[in-house]
Amino acid sequence: MAIGKAISRVEAGDKVTGAARYTEDVRVAETAHAVLLGSAISAGRVRGIDTRRAERAPGVLAVITHLNRPDFAAVPPTPYTAEGRMPLVDDRIHYAGQYIAVVVAETREQAEHAATLVVVDYHRTSPVPTLDAALSQAYIPRENGLARVPSEYRRGNAEAALAAAPVRVEEEYRTAALSHAPIEPSSTLAYWEGDRLTIYDSTQSVHMHRPLVAIAFGVPEDRVRMYCSLVGGGFGNKSYSWPHVFLAPMAARVVRRPVRVTISRKQVFTGTGHMAATVQTVRLGADQDGRLRALIHDSVNQTSFIDDRQETASAITPYVYAVPDLYARIRVTKVNTGTGGAMRTPGDSAGAFALESALDELAHRLGMDPLELRRRNHADVDPVSGRPWSGKQLLACYDQAAERFGWDRRNPEPGSARDGDDLIGYGMAGGQRTEHQRPAQATVDLTDDGTAVIRSSMVEIGGGGLTTLSQIAADGLGLPTAAVTFQHGDSALPAAAPTFGSMTSGSTGSAVKLAAADALRAAIDLAVGDRRSPLHGADPDDVVAHEGGLRLRDRPGDGESYRALLRRNRINTLRGDGDFQPEGEDAEHAMATFGVHFTEVRINRYLPRVRVVRHVAAFSIGRVLNAKTARNQAQGGIIMRLGAALMENQRPDPVSGRFISPALTDYHVPVNADIGEIDVIFVEEPDTNANPLGARGLGEICAVGICASVANAVHHATGKRVRSLPITPDKLL
Amino acid sequence: MRLNFTVNGRAETVDDVWEGESLLYVLRERAGLPGSKNACEQGECGSCTVYLDGVPVCACLVAAGQAEGREVRTVEGLADGDRLDPIQQAFVDAGAVQCGFCTPGLLVQAHDLIERVPRPSDPEIREALAGNLCRCTGYEKILDAVRLAAERKAGAR
Repeated sequence: MAIGKAISRVEAGDKVTGAARYTEDVRVAETAHAVLLGSAISAGRVRGIDTRRAERAPGVLAVITHLNRPDFAAVPPTPYTAEGRMPLVDDRIHYAGQYIAVVVAETREQAEHAATLVVVDYHRTSPVPTLDAALSQAYIPRENGLARVPSEYRRGNAEAALAAAPVRVEEEYRTAALSHAPIEPSSTLAYWEGDRLTIYDSTQSVHMHRPLVAIAFGVPEDRVRMYCSLVGGGFGNKSYSWPHVFLAPMAARVVRRPVRVTISRKQVFTGTGHMAATVQTVRLGADQDGRLRALIHDSVNQTSFIDDRQETASAITPYVYAVPDLYARIRVTKVNTGTGGAMRTPGDSAGAFALESALDELAHRLGMDPLELRRRNHADVDPVSGRPWSGKQLLACYDQAAERFGWDRRNPEPGSARDGDDLIGYGMAGGQRTEHQRPAQATVDLTDDGTAVIRSSMVEIGGGGLTTLSQIAADGLGLPTAAVTFQHGDSALPAAAPTFGSMTSGSTGSAVKLAAADALRAAIDLAVGDRRSPLHGADPDDVVAHEGGLRLRDRPGDGESYRALLRRNRINTLRGDGDFQPEGEDAEHAMATFGVHFTEVRINRYLPRVRVVRHVAAFSIGRVLNAKTARNQAQGGIIMRLGAALMENQRPDPVSGRFISPALTDYHVPVNADIGEIDVIFVEEPDTNANPLGARGLGEICAVGICASVANAVHHATGKRVRSLPITPDKLL
Repeated sequence: MRLNFTVNGRAETVDDVWEGESLLYVLRERAGLPGSKNACEQGECGSCTVYLDGVPVCACLVAAGQAEGREVRTVEGLADGDRLDPIQQAFVDAGAVQCGFCTPGLLVQAHDLIERVPRPSDPEIREALAGNLCRCTGYEKILDAVRLAAERKAGAR
């Protein structure tokens, strides 16, 4: 069996030799380069824009503004079109950095130079700069584009139950705006041949984004071919099509040449979304023995004047603990900032900070171990639907991670553990993520040289899908993983589920499994019907795949290789089709992924910088497809959220609202020297209730609960409760 | 202007180089070596790290003209033909690669560390690689990879 093995990533060789080709590495003859000019103000209008000097600059082919742009055919639907307003449609400015001109030139340097020559006359209006300034205007959006996430949820009477509860915690928590900050800036290369559009785009899904481009330019979807084989990190910022994706084909039409747009590092911060800042209140009511009676979780996030985009912080709350009376609400309020995006892990990461911090406060008030508090409120079935979980090993996660961490050594008294000038704190928190599925298609071709080829449009973002899905096909056909190749990242291939929302393993993986089974079935049918085959006349159910061919289940000697079978029958390839369709609303089981985190912090008494020296997490995700890629992905998700816990903050200027740190020099992400020991446990249990493969997603659950675990450890170390992220030294002085 | 330099052992002459171009631009756009990545353009992320006369530099911060007559070695020049350098092999074996965009720069930086410090301690590794950002944040496996490469190199000596 290849599944579960810690084999090395199949594309690793290309990635360590520089041979791997990302979108910006694709070369097309005659490509012109576009640079996008962003607005210097955050609210108002473009009163005038003088492009004459820019147009005369060396190498310039065109300067496109709202005054001379071609029309878009239509506005494609949000949220996968990231902004509901198409770029350059009018003179209005909603946020700083919003694109107001496209400068196209022979080289990128020439375009950059010319962009500095564009003179803009702005009419400024008074911006709404921050979430705080807009908090009183918060509202529930009429449509949120996320059908599965209601803005409001109610069971029982939470207000009354809270009032009647003997112990209460009622607090406000804040999370900062965050940048995905992938190392690869988004890039789009587009060219037209008549009404056919070819587009290389750093996207997390060619099949989700191709229709958007087709709608915007008024061409049938099958005239658009979108490619993306490798993405250099996305974390959600390439899961939506941001304005530059539409500006590249527009510019290519104007100059009648291929045009590349690669946004600048600064534009990664302003032009591809962010995780919106939130203000959340959590109100908990409990009995003296720690049983939760009432839970109210209210969240407000900043959104833009263009879109009502929710950071769905309280969306998961109804599903997490067995609380009879519960109310959750998600509101937005408009700020002169760009529209937020989906960032690992949308809603749940921010929400878990508030909920799991509040639970720690409750445990402290009750004098109860925080882990025991969670055990007492364990949801044995889905509290929303009453359905059983497809698989849930959370209690085992609690046990194994607590033991590995040494949780029983914790003296509950805050400030009780010291080492010289270091205060030591132990904290823990839980995490949960609803498991999403989407339809996914793949084919698996068995070839007459005894190898197999997977065809599916999956984009490899770094999660390891190329490898794990190759393992799945290999097992399905009895081949070594090295005998499987993968054609991917091309909209002409069968449609994979997007590489976001943790759907590669469960959805695309299941499609590959079904396709491999279909190819195997075709090979078996061919063999049993072929007089020259040693398997002729056998019952197809008795024939199994084995070491590059087929044999009888009970008689290992009788069989033949795929190569011999196909060559004899003069068949080049036998194709298996895989079409995975989720059960949807009618599913018998509720599906989610679960996790728990334990963190040790050390904080110097005199310079209270929080260092995470040790972190142990355990996850319940069904079956683990590859121990090596899974472990690395989980450690990465944890470290990414340690950044949110301790340093990351896209601070708005309090007057203009523009992000004041759109650079990696100021927006600090964790570096190697920041990291302590990160240990990960998987409590495995193949979950075939969820899908044929038995695997649920990992890429998102691994980043839920970390910030609260750190904050709770900080409280344990210092006695100080920090309820706003990031936990910087000034908050501990 | 015309630029003469050596890259990965090969003499290279490129014409029509604009004075404002970076070494990174010349490597990626003119020398056919897109392995070094353009990710921040201001020396913050380390993804474009290459050797310039044996010293790791951010190629985005080196003006093309500064490479005149000098020797450049990129990620494409680390392997010996088809044989991966021990640091490349260790990144593969330890699972230290995720999206791979930071990998070329990290490899050059880690290669340099092991050349200078054959058996680096963990804090030395973390410090040496602190200028190379990995947003998949695979730092734990990267640490494993550098340890593994150092061990293998020491074993082979």
